Amino acid sequence: MNSFAERFSTTTAASHMRNAQKLAEEDDEFDGTMWGSSAGFGSIAKGVPSFTVPAVADPTAFLRLHTDDHADPSCRIKIQHGTTTLAFRFQGGVIVAVDSRATAGSYIASGTVKKVIEINPYLLGTMAGGAADCQYWETYLGMHCRLHELRNRERISVSAASKYLSNLVYSYKGMGLSMGTMICGWDKTGPAVFYVDSDGTRLKGDLFSVGSGSTFAYGVLDQGYRWDLTDEEAQELGRRSIYAAGHRDAFSGNSCNLYHVKEDGWKFIGNYDISKLHYDGPGNVPGSDGRPYGYDIRVEGLSSTNAPEVAAAA
Amino acid sequence: METSFAITGKGYVIVAADTTAARSIVKMKVDEDKIKTLSPHLLMAYSGEPGDTVQFAEYVERNIRLYQIRNLYPLRPSAAASWIRRSLAESLRSRKPYSVNLLVGGYDTATHTPHLYWVDYFGTMTEVPFGAHGYGSYFALSLLDRYHNPEASLEEGLATLRRAIDEVSKRLVVSPGTYKVKVVDKDGVREVEL
Amino acid sequence: MPSIEQPQQRQFNPYSENGGTILAIAGADFSVIAGDTRQSEGYSIQTRYAPKVFRLTDRAVLAVNGFAADGNMFVKKVRQRLEWYRHAHAKDMPLRAIARLIQTMLYARRFFPFYVYNILGGIEEDGTGAVYSFDPVGSYEREACRAAGAAQSLVQPFLDNQIYFKNQLPAPGTSHPAHLPLSTVLSLVIDSFTSATERHIEVGDGLEIYIVFSKGSTSLQGLASVRGLQEVTTTDDGERVFVIRRELKKD
Repeated sequence: MNSFAERFSTTTAASHMRNAQKLAEEDDEFDGTMWGSSAGFGSIAKGVPSFTVPAVADPTAFLRLHTDDHADPSCRIKIQHGTTTLAFRFQGGVIVAVDSRATAGSYIASGTVKKVIEINPYLLGTMAGGAADCQYWETYLGMHCRLHELRNRERISVSAASKYLSNLVYSYKGMGLSMGTMICGWDKTGPAVFYVDSDGTRLKGDLFSVGSGSTFAYGVLDQGYRWDLTDEEAQELGRRSIYAAGHRDAFSGNSCNLYHVKEDGWKFIGNYDISKLHYDGPGNVPGSDGRPYGYDIRVEGLSSTNAPEVAAAA
Repeated sequence: METSFAITGKGYVIVAADTTAARSIVKMKVDEDKIKTLSPHLLMAYSGEPGDTVQFAEYVERNIRLYQIRNLYPLRPSAAASWIRRSLAESLRSRKPYSVNLLVGGYDTATHTPHLYWVDYFGTMTEVPFGAHGYGSYFALSLLDRYHNPEASLEEGLATLRRAIDEVSKRLVVSPGTYKVKVVDKDGVREVEL
Repeated sequence: MPSIEQPQQRQFNPYSENGGTILAIAGADFSVIAGDTRQSEGYSIQTRYAPKVFRLTDRAVLAVNGFAADGNMFVKKVRQRLEWYRHAHAKDMPLRAIARLIQTMLYARRFFPFYVYNILGGIEEDGTGAVYSFDPVGSYEREACRAAGAAQSLVQPFLDNQIYFKNQLPAPGTSHPAHLPLSTVLSLVIDSFTSATERHIEVGDGLEIYIVFSKGSTSLQGLASVRGLQEVTTTDDGERVFVIRRELKKD
């Protein structure tokens, strides 16, 4: 009876999902669009992808019970958390830098995660929070940016793309999505960075950092940031900030991926091992003085001893 | 923490809101404008649940604009505030209510009277001579009880607002750094520097 | 006496955990996907032979680990979609497309997840060996090697050391190989599972190793000498799939 009432009720969470998805025939698990080459995202033909929801009174509580590793470390489905990502706008474009660590509890599930999502040749998205949420919805955003191009014979602005994503995740607010992302690119207005998260917040800005290591990244980033940074200085600042977070935040690390967005689209600059940055520095790359980043290496041989002159002479 | 104030005076309303956008312990942005200009003589300061705030404010902004386009004249402040309050009240009774608190300030060009409405996310609305939301309100309200003057000139009004902001900066542990201040009077809406 | 209906609340827990471990390693022109065959719940062994590795096509093999019921259901649904693709296009779906399909299928259950960790191994369209690993809600990445399941924290560090040569310095004047030969990979897989069986109670009983070779792969030579080998290829002129079945300790 409960499930029967649930189906026709207009006030439950499940019905909200139904409305959000604007499902035409909810019982048809497979429709024509899932056949053939439109397999997978074929459901886009209906407007919005459809999701299976458990037949319980409160699907959100159900999901939280089984997936939220903050509330209950013993729960079964671990969703990746812990990250450092940053992006900033400057005279020469946008710098995007991220770490590459994925953790499940205290286990390092991967050290080679791609946290920069290449939405298309001139739009980048970053990944913090649920890996699948970011990957899936930013891929989905990429498809809609392409549709915008085909319909309007014009590239979508970064502002419009980020608003599309923010409205999309806002429609799932309270359902348990977790993402904190920066949408970065270059459009008619020049370089642009927007912060979008799963609360529905969308902020335009010059400089953002997201994730458990963001405070450490901000510490280095804020101090080194200027609008008129050169390309090389900016890249070095991005690298240095991710190193700082990788060094201080246990949930961030392994390596740093660096991207630079210019007028003609984004370019991958490089992948830098955090340990190598600590002991050897980034190597012979533009913007670097070649010195290691590590504090203990930087201050080797220096001393704070301030003995009086006389004693020193004796 | 998020704080907003508004005070009325002789022929004007001043609305002020802090400009920080915070997430957890981090200030994500320090120059966010949280006061919307809804029509030539209407201002709305909004605060509350991230995401809901901007979505609701933009919803209100577009509907007030739509009214003006359809009818060739804008809603008067009292009517606009009533419509906004009702939107919140209906939202409260839906599955996913907007958690947004508002200060709606406007100048009624028909009666040459400034109006200020204090609205919370429950849909409580009250017309007030001055109002505040957020932690700052615990300091500002008593201060304004003591110093507010309905006949104050704009300069005096801004000085009183300055007092309130200074007090909050002095006493509140996590006080906002900067505020955006807007005035609405017979000449319309404008931003002012304190 | 009139009875008053009280509201009832029931706990809905559709998930269990069935142990076991899977792993996959990509070579230059082959891919190895393996899993043990023990299925357990808590301290009880439900069966000593429940396969966790499945041939999807002649170029793709899927290993599933976590909650067995969800895993079996998921493989069934993936196979169904691959069959539909075959009917629509008269060819097998390419590996990278299967990977994306698995992402969308997992994400479609974002609010009621399949409690399954997937590893997809096989041959790409360019003939290279590939491994894709997934989380339960569909985030995925192409890698060279991946272990998942109960003993992932025992096996993965071993693989990192022996395949990526993590924390190893090459002898002066030499460098680490980018891709390992099949014989080395097979030894590593077998050692991984015998060792995991020694130290993890949920691993053991049997071992199934699937090997997918690209068209005309030279790695096929020397395979004849391998004990317990069986070919499971379905077509003549494409990629070839073999399976090796071995015993693991049963205590």
